Amino acid sequence: MKLTKDILRKLIQAVAMTVPEEIGCDECFDKLSEFAEVKLAGKSPEKAMPIVADHLRKCGECREEYEALLAALKDLKPRLN
Amino acid sequence: MLHWFKRRIQKAKSYRSNDEWIRQLSAPPDEEAVAELRRILVRGLRPPLSRYVDRDLDSFVEDVTQDALLRILEKLDTFKGESAFVSWALKVAVRVGFTELRRKKWKDLSLDDLDGMSDDQEPGNKSHSDNIVTSFTAPDQQAHESMIMTKVMEIMEKELSEKQKMVIHALMIKGIPMTVLADQMKTSRNTIYKTVHDARVKLKKKMAEAGMDPDEILREL
Ligand SMILES: [Zn+2]
Repeated sequence: MKLTKDILRKLIQAVAMTVPEEIGCDECFDKLSEFAEVKLAGKSPEKAMPIVADHLRKCGECREEYEALLAALKDLKPRLN
Repeated sequence: MLHWFKRRIQKAKSYRSNDEWIRQLSAPPDEEAVAELRRILVRGLRPPLSRYVDRDLDSFVEDVTQDALLRILEKLDTFKGESAFVSWALKVAVRVGFTELRRKKWKDLSLDDLDGMSDDQEPGNKSHSDNIVTSFTAPDQQAHESMIMTKVMEIMEKELSEKQKMVIHALMIKGIPMTVLADQMKTSRNTIYKTVHDARVKLKKKMAEAGMDPDEILREL
């Protein structure tokens, strides 16, 4: 496999962040609506659910979906409450 | 009196509890509840999806909502009340929407594009000079970076499985989303994530054994 400097940096960053006990996308998904609600309540889901926060830092696709969910809930909140 | 009653009814509709949602959406689903959920999904999905879709946003949101509704009704029994039902439903809908966005964007990708990704025989992709550090760095810095790169490539070559190499290549070098790669490999995004995680754990261990500290390397690069 050939690497460029940028890719090497990305790869080493990913390696540096690696911990043995990471959750996968499924487990993150299971917790995502709860995580988003805690965030919207102005509390810190990162503290309450650190392994989910860790996955969201590492997984771009889950992070993208989380941000969209947050935006959707923010938009709906005034109308639902 | 009638006004008060009407208001109560309206209020009850928009304030469905989780239990009410589940009861009303369970087969056979109540049409009114389905229609209300559809309205909520469309309203919720539109703003985030609009950032990614430049044409036919309305019909895209409609399609996603339709798929999401079916999905939600299908997996209603997996809702455990960990959040408001609407938050859960939107989460399912967002997943459906983004999966579709990624598939659309990469629809022309075929399995052939993934072949040979674990070795260096990909034609016409990167020229050899791309693999050499060519930024405006001092010669010894360049030599140092090349050395790190060679070492990392050696470790990857030796320690990772063909599948791990292929997946890392597809995600990091080609920029293919896990969702799309999972489709191609007939597996799940979760499995792809786990494959990469195992590879990262292995690389971290082997780099440590070779006396390489990732944080230190990052500072030097
Ligand atoms: Zn993920």
